[in-house]
Amino acid sequence: MKNIIKKGILSLLCTSSLVFVGCSEDYLNEPQPTEVVAESVIFGSRTGVESFLSGIARRARRQFTSVDAAGVNSIYFARTIKGNDLIHARSWWGFDYDNDNREPTYRRTSFSWEFPYYMINQINACINGVETSELSEIDKQELTGQAKALRAFYYFQLALEFQEGYTEANRDLPAPPIYTELSTEGKPMGTLGELYDFIVDDLKVAISSLTEERLGKSYVNVNVANGILARVYLAMGNWSGAEAAAFAAYGGNVNEVLDPATYGNGFDDISNKEWIWGMPQTGDQSNYYYNAPSAFVDPITPAYNNVYINEYFSNEFTATDARNTFQVGTATDYTKVTSTKFLFAFSSDIVIMRTAEMILIEAEAKFRQGDETGAKDLLFELQSNRDPLAVKSSNTGAALEEEILLERRKEMYGEFGVEWFDAKRLQRGIVRTPNHRIVKNLEPNDKRFYLKIPQVEIDANENIDNSVNANR
Amino acid sequence: MRTKVAWILTPLLVMLMSFSYAQEKTITGNVTDHEGLALPGVTVLVVGTTTGTQTDFDGNYTIKASVGQILRYSYVGQKTTERKVGSSNTISLQMDEDAEALDEVVVVAYGSQKKKSIVGSVTSLGEEMIDSQQLTTITSAIQGTVAGVNVITSGGQPGSNPTIRIRGIGSINASAEPLIVVDGVPFNGNINSISGDQIESMNILKDASSTALYGSRAANGVVLITTKKGSYNSGSKITVSAVSGFSTPAVALHDRIGNDDMMRYSWEAERNKNLYITGQSATDAGINASQSLISNLGYNPYNVAQPVDQNGNLVPGATSLWETDWEDEMLRSAAQRNEYTVSISGGGESSRFFLSANYLNQEGAVRESDFERFTTRLNLETEVKDWLTVGLNTSLSTSKQNFPTQSGSTFQSSYQWIYSMSSIYPLYRRNENGGLVLDNSGNRIYDYGSTPGQSVNGSRPLLGNENAVGSLYNYDDVNKRTNALVNGFAKIKFSDNLSFKTNLSYENYLFDSNSYDAYDVGVASSVGGRVAQDRDITTTFNFTNSLNYDKTFGDHSIQANAIFEAYKLKVDALGAQGTGFLPGVKVLNGSTLPEGVSGFISEDRLTSYLGRLAYSYKDRYFIEGSYRRDGSSRFSEDTRWGNFFSVGGSWVISDENFLAGSSTINLLKLRASYGELGNNGTSSYFPYLQGFETGNNELDNTGVLLGDVTDPNLTWETSALFNVGLDFSLLNDRLDGSFEYYSKESIDLIYTKPLPISTGNSGITTNVGSIKNSGYEMSLTGRLIQNNKVTWTLGVNAAINKNEITELTQDEFITGTKKWKEGKSLYDFFIQDWAGVDPEDGYGMWYKDVLDVDGNPTGERETTKDYSEATRYYQGSSLPDVTGGLTTDLKVGGFDFNMLFNFSFGAQVYDSSYAGLMDGFSRPGYTASPDIANRWTQPGDITDVPLLLNSQNDFNGTSTRFLFDNDYVRLRAITLGYTLPSDITKKAYLDNVRIYLRGDNLFTWQSHKGIDPEQSLAGTTDSRSSLLKTISLGLNVQF
Repeated sequence: MKNIIKKGILSLLCTSSLVFVGCSEDYLNEPQPTEVVAESVIFGSRTGVESFLSGIARRARRQFTSVDAAGVNSIYFARTIKGNDLIHARSWWGFDYDNDNREPTYRRTSFSWEFPYYMINQINACINGVETSELSEIDKQELTGQAKALRAFYYFQLALEFQEGYTEANRDLPAPPIYTELSTEGKPMGTLGELYDFIVDDLKVAISSLTEERLGKSYVNVNVANGILARVYLAMGNWSGAEAAAFAAYGGNVNEVLDPATYGNGFDDISNKEWIWGMPQTGDQSNYYYNAPSAFVDPITPAYNNVYINEYFSNEFTATDARNTFQVGTATDYTKVTSTKFLFAFSSDIVIMRTAEMILIEAEAKFRQGDETGAKDLLFELQSNRDPLAVKSSNTGAALEEEILLERRKEMYGEFGVEWFDAKRLQRGIVRTPNHRIVKNLEPNDKRFYLKIPQVEIDANENIDNSVNANR
Repeated sequence: MRTKVAWILTPLLVMLMSFSYAQEKTITGNVTDHEGLALPGVTVLVVGTTTGTQTDFDGNYTIKASVGQILRYSYVGQKTTERKVGSSNTISLQMDEDAEALDEVVVVAYGSQKKKSIVGSVTSLGEEMIDSQQLTTITSAIQGTVAGVNVITSGGQPGSNPTIRIRGIGSINASAEPLIVVDGVPFNGNINSISGDQIESMNILKDASSTALYGSRAANGVVLITTKKGSYNSGSKITVSAVSGFSTPAVALHDRIGNDDMMRYSWEAERNKNLYITGQSATDAGINASQSLISNLGYNPYNVAQPVDQNGNLVPGATSLWETDWEDEMLRSAAQRNEYTVSISGGGESSRFFLSANYLNQEGAVRESDFERFTTRLNLETEVKDWLTVGLNTSLSTSKQNFPTQSGSTFQSSYQWIYSMSSIYPLYRRNENGGLVLDNSGNRIYDYGSTPGQSVNGSRPLLGNENAVGSLYNYDDVNKRTNALVNGFAKIKFSDNLSFKTNLSYENYLFDSNSYDAYDVGVASSVGGRVAQDRDITTTFNFTNSLNYDKTFGDHSIQANAIFEAYKLKVDALGAQGTGFLPGVKVLNGSTLPEGVSGFISEDRLTSYLGRLAYSYKDRYFIEGSYRRDGSSRFSEDTRWGNFFSVGGSWVISDENFLAGSSTINLLKLRASYGELGNNGTSSYFPYLQGFETGNNELDNTGVLLGDVTDPNLTWETSALFNVGLDFSLLNDRLDGSFEYYSKESIDLIYTKPLPISTGNSGITTNVGSIKNSGYEMSLTGRLIQNNKVTWTLGVNAAINKNEITELTQDEFITGTKKWKEGKSLYDFFIQDWAGVDPEDGYGMWYKDVLDVDGNPTGERETTKDYSEATRYYQGSSLPDVTGGLTTDLKVGGFDFNMLFNFSFGAQVYDSSYAGLMDGFSRPGYTASPDIANRWTQPGDITDVPLLLNSQNDFNGTSTRFLFDNDYVRLRAITLGYTLPSDITKKAYLDNVRIYLRGDNLFTWQSHKGIDPEQSLAGTTDSRSSLLKTISLGLNVQF
């Protein structure tokens, strides 16, 4: 009896073990990741690709590595704080303010390199995935159009951050390499000419394939693509190209695309009609305190509150100017003037590009091509929109150029480093007024207008060695 | 108390104890060993009944038995002896030494073996060693007691678990943690859920032959934990113990400067900038520095508006209105520790049991931090039939940990705060004139350094909008863990030689972390507070079936096992976060705005087929081999199966004729093993799949991003282990010990190889290269005095390990402060070499290579003041040359005295906390070390501390300036105990009463002070809190 039981149990166990052995491959196949989606889902439909583009848009404003290294806004604010119009008091951005944050091991250097390349790799995956997909030609065109405009945008940031400004003579200078597909090998440095050509090509393709339609104002449409191209041409000194692209970006009707009454509302609302492109935030989709400029410039809401306005700059504004957002305090030093242009909240949206900039690009381009009257008319259209009491300029020549450039600063201070961008592309320096906390001037074409190549890149890239930073 | 316990336990005892019969009488006696020494702990049993007892400390026992019954006396190392009860009421005896003393059984993989037959490397930690330390996490007991194991406890938060590395670091990105096996089942919960009193033994398996059966995850060694089971045929016994004590940080922190120095130095840094960088005249530089000082610092703790004059001196009459001692505000002066245990164990003819309950409450060094745990275990085993044994081990543990941030660089991180925040910043809010600001109820308000619109005392230049002391009270960080484990087995004996065992275990581990940021102050004040909660459920199934064959014929003996095993782990994670809370509301229901939800399920599975065959001849020659085949769901179908094996043998030389009976050499055993084991401990569950990651939504549009680039052919990392060892026992067993040599080479390392970041990926996880660990281990135990009144034992163990990269697919990698290159160790520092301070201008200098015309180093060096030009060089290692421990155990009469030291020599540590304190005020408002007094002040000064400069510089950039030797010796445990004489305890109906005074980490000698010597394997600091030193008083009662 006992033996029968034992034998029974034994054979039962042996059988069940054998059954299990047979199933073990299935048993091992069963677990699958639950938080990732397969490539076939993404490139199987337009909606799938759009979710990829949404992810890319979101990543542009997340927390990348640090408070001063979050997304597009961090690159922009680092440029802003290098200028004369805003004054940094303490804490975050201090080294950028000191124009000293450019050594190979510093965070600014590695962030300004890694972040655009991270985005480019995502965008390349999107373009290549769409191109080999079964989507319709129209879908393919519209989707790659968006992606290529974004790719151009990020390569443009690399071009600006890692080499001198563009000139014919500078075309052969070493510049960040171009990747168009997934690679695990590092490429050698390319040239600045190559890089700008690539950017312009991408933008042309984008413009020809896009319409005004888009999923939201944080996505790319034909206006955004034109706006990026206008900036690129401005940087390249292609004035006619810049004029046409800027005009296409805002549509040509100045008063229609401006809304001076909302300028003082805090620059926190992407739905503002002046905004061509921006980054929306909500309480549950926020980069929190990584939100430059508002977490730093806003003098009221508790955050870092560590950036002041140069009173020489604020004095340029009339009291009736809609863009006069300044409060003058009792202090006698650089902490005297603050601005409420950017109001901070976790849900504050972040601006990337506005119509006023396009109008001013068009005006400048007209001026550069000799059309001073056209330039002045357009400039006054904007000026009188901002200030009903504005007086039309009688400036000509260099004085008019200065007036246009000042108007750019007055319009776009704090947004994307307009002062730095203009100084760089026009090979001017930046002179700080003596009331600054750190009075450091940048000579024209100063090396401090660009960064060294990050050490982490050199360490892992067989095609770039330490000599890349010699004389940088 | 006692009656209450008894009242609760009585029903249980009634069930488990059997009662004695009539006609019995009380037998007393004394038992001694073969040398005539009193033998405590001898089991005395009335054969055929469940009546049993143990001898007390003096070898005395009392038992009830009837005439004609047989008493059986058993004790490890002594021959079991029987006596028949006659007319006498006294039975005393001297036991004989058991020649087969080595028949001591050791728990090994999937079973147990006689110690003598072990061919691999196994170190056992018994109950005494575990009991002699105050263990919040039981694996801490390994430190200093087992040769070749490196244990690092990072930080002083109680309930944090130490990092354990057995025989060097064998993996880079795959897990290098040993596998922890509790009662035969891999353990996935938090090890701090098991209390020390439940542990019978902890065995450390170090080589291939002993770990091979766990082959797939045993490449980094195995810690086998066996819980107490009770013993058959023994009387039930109750143990109650209580330990209470106080803790403080084990080492002192780096010193920091006070207000006056802070102001003078900050002035000097500003003056130097004006003078040397901006180019102002000396007078202007001084005047301007005085004027801008307060606006640079943001705060003025003095009663005058401009406290430092143009010469850098405090103006007469300037006194501080406050001077904050952040360390004092942040750390406890005495943290309490209380632990209470009740356990019952016993057994009858066919059943045995162990039941225990333990409560621990320990406060941490940082205020508000603590760890509270309640854990209970019931182990039951019964022989249902002579051919069937079943058992069930269950445990339930629940713990709660208040865990304010104590390391890292988040703003509220307490040690970082102490090392950053100057004393000039107030704890409570101050107005522009330095007066306290009170709320409407008249209470002081924590100063968060972010009062917009207040020009002085409103905005701090560092760690803005935070107050780490306030956050201890205003924020909550609570971790709750519940661990439930059921582990059952059934063993069927088909014949004397053949048996089958099936073992099924289920473990459910609930981890709940809950953080609350205040509604009114700090990071989340602008959104009315934030609650973030994560609740992860980890379940593990383990199913093992083994067929075992054991046969001895003549001089030959064979043991064979065939095992099938299936393992399944599932992590079910859920998290939510919301903002907008009313005061006092700290649960998500009160949220007005949900900020986010997350959740995922990850699974990990493994199936394995195992076999082991062991043969021995004359109990003198042993040979053993094993094989294992594993399939893991972490690899693709094509690469998931791995084959692992081991072979080993041993030779008991002392049993050969030429040594047999020698009193000088009692044991001499040589053993060797070789094997190849696997490691699938990747950091993600599907490391070979690249997919699109969800959770990147743009407003209402679903968003995905491409995950990191992956290697679809990723497969098992394999370690090849070789071990040879010699065990010995000499001079009548007065001295025993072992020597071992090992070499462990890990090939096809699972490693995240750095990619150029321009590719958009910073790394790819792939099988790259190999590393080798090799070394020697030694352990010796001497019984220096052994007589009736006094025993004194001294033990020492030491190990040296060499870590070497033997193959890389590219020339070299730089990762952080290390560079990996063939022939170098994973943990060799590769950093800039500090060349001191230029006496001319006070700037820091580093060495760089002199290059020839082709750009190659000539071998000569020169100094540079440009940090980015400085060459990085190899500079020592964060791995120690020698680690080990020393134990001593002295018993005199009823007193016992025990000490355990552990030591580590030859490692380096990079102290970034100290680097921060030596910054030299390039960032205003950060505090500094008093060592800054040695700074350069004028041309010609010879010093190692650069000038103070309020301008970005690299003086404290990573370099040998902050690389220090990290040798240390720590007195981990010291205990003085007294056991009450049995004639006294007997009167109180108690078996044993012991009182002891115990100290943990009381003394630390270290070559670099200011930080705890235990930081991290990589030898880098992270503003960690220190371990605790604890003094406590304990009471242990058995009845």
